Amino acid sequence: MSHDEVKQQPPINHAPSSNFAKEVEQEFYGDGIMKCIQCGMCTASCMVASMTERYRPRMLIQKILLGKREEVLSSELPWLCMTCRLCEERCQEDVNLSEIFHAVREIAAREGYIPQVFRNTINKVLEDGWLLNDAYTDFVEDDRSDLGLDPKLSWNNDFVKKIKKRYFEGVTKK
Amino acid sequence: MTTERQHKSKVGGGTTEIMSNEALIVGGGVAGMQAAIDIANQGFKVTLLEKSSSIGGVMAQIDKTFPTLDCSACILTPRLSEVSRHPNIDLLTYSEIKSVTGETGDFRVRVHRHSRYVDESKCSGCGDCIPVCPVEVPNRFDGNLGFRKAIYTPFPQATPNVVTVDKKGEPACRATCPAEVNAQGFVTMMRHGKFDEALEIVRRSTPFPGVLGRVCISFCEAECERGMLDESISIRNLHRFLADYERAHEVAPVEANIDKKERIAVVGAGPGGISCAYQLARMGYPVTVFEKREKAGGMLRYSIPEYRLPREILDEEIQRVVDMGVKIKTGTTVKSLHDLLEKGFKAVFVATGAWESNRLGIAGEEVDGVVHAIKFLEDVNNGEKVTVGDRVVVVGGGDAAIDSARVARRLGAKEVTLVYRRSHVEIPAIPSEVEDAKAEGVKFMLLTNPVEILSSKGHITGIRCVRMRLGEPDHSGRRRPVPIPNSEFTMAVDEMIIAVGQSTDPRGLQTELECTEWGTVKADPVTLATNVPGIFVGGDVFTGPNTVVKAVGHGKHAATSIDRYIRGLDLMEGRAKDRHRVQSYEVDKSNIPVEARASMPKQGLESRKRDFSEVELGFNEARAAAEAERCLGCAVCCECERCVDACTRDAIDHHMPDEVVDLHVGAIVLATGYKLFDVAKYPQYGYGKIPNVITAMEFERLINAAGPTHGHLIRLTDGKIPNSIGFVQCVGARDVQKGVPFCSRVCCMYGIKNAVMAKEHHPDADVTVYYADIRAFGKGFEEFYEMARTRFGVNFVRGRVAEVMEGKKKNKLIVRVEDTETGDLHDVAHDLVIISPGIQPPEGLEDLAVELNMDLSEEGYVQVHDAVLTPVDTDVPGVFVAGCADGPKDIPDSVSAGSAAAMRATIILSKVDREE
Repeated sequence: MSHDEVKQQPPINHAPSSNFAKEVEQEFYGDGIMKCIQCGMCTASCMVASMTERYRPRMLIQKILLGKREEVLSSELPWLCMTCRLCEERCQEDVNLSEIFHAVREIAAREGYIPQVFRNTINKVLEDGWLLNDAYTDFVEDDRSDLGLDPKLSWNNDFVKKIKKRYFEGVTKK
Repeated sequence: MTTERQHKSKVGGGTTEIMSNEALIVGGGVAGMQAAIDIANQGFKVTLLEKSSSIGGVMAQIDKTFPTLDCSACILTPRLSEVSRHPNIDLLTYSEIKSVTGETGDFRVRVHRHSRYVDESKCSGCGDCIPVCPVEVPNRFDGNLGFRKAIYTPFPQATPNVVTVDKKGEPACRATCPAEVNAQGFVTMMRHGKFDEALEIVRRSTPFPGVLGRVCISFCEAECERGMLDESISIRNLHRFLADYERAHEVAPVEANIDKKERIAVVGAGPGGISCAYQLARMGYPVTVFEKREKAGGMLRYSIPEYRLPREILDEEIQRVVDMGVKIKTGTTVKSLHDLLEKGFKAVFVATGAWESNRLGIAGEEVDGVVHAIKFLEDVNNGEKVTVGDRVVVVGGGDAAIDSARVARRLGAKEVTLVYRRSHVEIPAIPSEVEDAKAEGVKFMLLTNPVEILSSKGHITGIRCVRMRLGEPDHSGRRRPVPIPNSEFTMAVDEMIIAVGQSTDPRGLQTELECTEWGTVKADPVTLATNVPGIFVGGDVFTGPNTVVKAVGHGKHAATSIDRYIRGLDLMEGRAKDRHRVQSYEVDKSNIPVEARASMPKQGLESRKRDFSEVELGFNEARAAAEAERCLGCAVCCECERCVDACTRDAIDHHMPDEVVDLHVGAIVLATGYKLFDVAKYPQYGYGKIPNVITAMEFERLINAAGPTHGHLIRLTDGKIPNSIGFVQCVGARDVQKGVPFCSRVCCMYGIKNAVMAKEHHPDADVTVYYADIRAFGKGFEEFYEMARTRFGVNFVRGRVAEVMEGKKKNKLIVRVEDTETGDLHDVAHDLVIISPGIQPPEGLEDLAVELNMDLSEEGYVQVHDAVLTPVDTDVPGVFVAGCADGPKDIPDSVSAGSAAAMRATIILSKVDREE
């Protein structure tokens, strides 16, 4: 069955509406998704699922298998996996869920689907050199010098500058 | 110990010498039985080999079959009796294949037949022996839910209908005891409060339960398997308790039972001599013991202080031996051993001991105030008035040294110092004695050696010592002490007691026999025979200074030798120690709580100071029973031999050896069955940790009328009826990560059957089956599934269970599962959770495959030649497969395969016939 044919047909009998699952399978460590038999072991094992009703790993896999590409990539669900891998430990079919979700996030990021909260975090790091700049006080300096560390944290900014130069500006130059 | 026996295997028709028209079926389950019956009914001889003690296999354990809900035992039992009565079927149970050679039509099979310690031809299966057995172990047939005895039949219809003794070999305690006291036996009896019978077991080996219970060095405790877990059983104190208990209660008078004529002389009335006389008197020999001192007892009386061994205990136990008909002539010195033989004694046992104290060999040893331990202790024990100085030093680290130090303390010495040249690790005295000595104020100066005795006007004033360090181990395995240069120092002392070992009298009686350079007698270590026929030797005069229990053991072994010598039998035959000693890994120590050993109540330190009354006070009844309860029962059967007494047909023989049987067969059918997946490998389901999580096989036994609850479906923790039951499917099957990717084929159906049976037992209970798929293929299966859902009201939830947890209320179990049909995550409360494990290849199949030069499939099952055309042929010609040996099957399929394999096998067997 070619995927173009599937695309043209209306989604009946739960036939995949796109070749999204195949696309995920092609990603690094994204293979294994086709082994899922939807037994629900992952959802019942999941720490995040036990905290919120929004997140159900089995259903997310199901959506990928059903080819709901836009819905999956635009949602924040693939970003909620904690990568604790308890589901992988227990999955009897050896489906590597957290790797699959990582692969999905790779695709999403490439296409610009990054949840705002993740963007904010990255921007903060690029801006301040570290995540908790607001929490910086001279107590930290004292603690650091007690521990024999350099109390000045300005090297962070140098470091970030280097990273920006090498990866961001460097990429754009090419 | 094994003996070989040529099996009554007739070679095909008697004409060819190579080919055989007999068949061997490996595995006595339902498939193997079917194959055996089908081959036998065609007129061929069949040997049915089974690893366990009864044929019947797993089907005998199952309560009901699916999908018809027939009683499993009702179907199976007629088959069992058909097999056992068939003239062409020879049953070999409790047996395993050791080797297979040859090819189709001509297999030579060597079978190891484990001893069941019961003569199958004599035993009628009456079961009289079972209630008297004191040993209880988990009943494997009942999924380890209930208990069975060490002598048992696995189930009422067991075939052959004979009992089996579950015995792993000789436990460590008994194997290490020089007198072979059956420690596991008497401890087991004590668990049941049968102290008289326990004492009788001790007395089989030694006349000194009270004496050895106080002074024995207890080799047994050092090797006790319980010591691998926490602390060893206090075996010595337990058998002391037995003697104390008898003293406190009425003692049955001893009757002399001397019925033999051959007179025997024993020289030396120490522990060895008395032990030998005792054992000979038990056999009925008239014995005369010659003792040169005033009283009998030897070192026990003249060396061991009274606070360790009260003299009335010793007197009573010696009197008991006298009451048995032994004559003890005290104050009589034997002039010559040969004279005794000439005077008409048929045999002589020499146990004159080692009474000479070794000398230190340093300057000044002859001055006043220096005594040797044996002389010192002998004087004290003789009741002579002995005075000691204020500052006493004792040299040595053995029991005599510790005894001397503690005696000196009791005689009023202000300061007693024990000087020993090695460290506290190497000190050879009994550890508890060392501790008592420390508690009583004896100072220990270790790694020190005296080099010179200082004296003034012929009396000791002090000693010069040198500090030592430990070097390389010497021939005794202990590290050799080496003097540290320039470390000499001087101590002021008034008295010195030297306890650096003893040796035999160099001019003693034993010099009539061939001796070593040390003055000990040369003799055979097992039979104790000397170079003079009829004279046997034992105790310290044979080994050099040694322990009481060794001497008692020598007495016992010499008695056996003397009996054989008089009856003209071979002294050595069957006496080599070749019984299997139970190894540490064979004893299951999991799930046993760690407990300290019982401590011995002792007299207060103040009252001990100037007193020779006994320090250790002995256990009371409750403490003794509780301590006995800690025994792990390493060998399972404790050889108390109560079953031997109970058996009216004389069928039980605890010394029955294993056998090797050689078979010659033309075809082999493998029907080795399967084992269930070990569900403890899924820690998230809590099996083995949460008590109300059980396996399907345990559930089968729980609902079976012959099971541990007589068919009442209850929770084993509280005996309550479970109102809500959950079944967890697909555990140990279809799990790629656990190495079992295949479907086990039967779990869905037996799971549904068990759910239905749960509803049958408790119609009001909620019964839920958690599954990934229901595989109800085959005739009547889908209908059965429908019936379970609609008529019986079993809930089916599609979703694999992630976890089973203990609820906040301890008696509830929480099952976490996603109902994949709704997407809801549930925590369901159940009273009982049953895990349905998958099927795996049986243990031992790999070894068998190696013997048959056969490949197994990746999963470990037997590989069939062609799954479609020859589904019961293996890759080895003449070897066929039936039942679950080549993959999971249900009962009807297994039986079909049995018949098919029988047909394929008889094709080969009938060709052999035709060649006649």
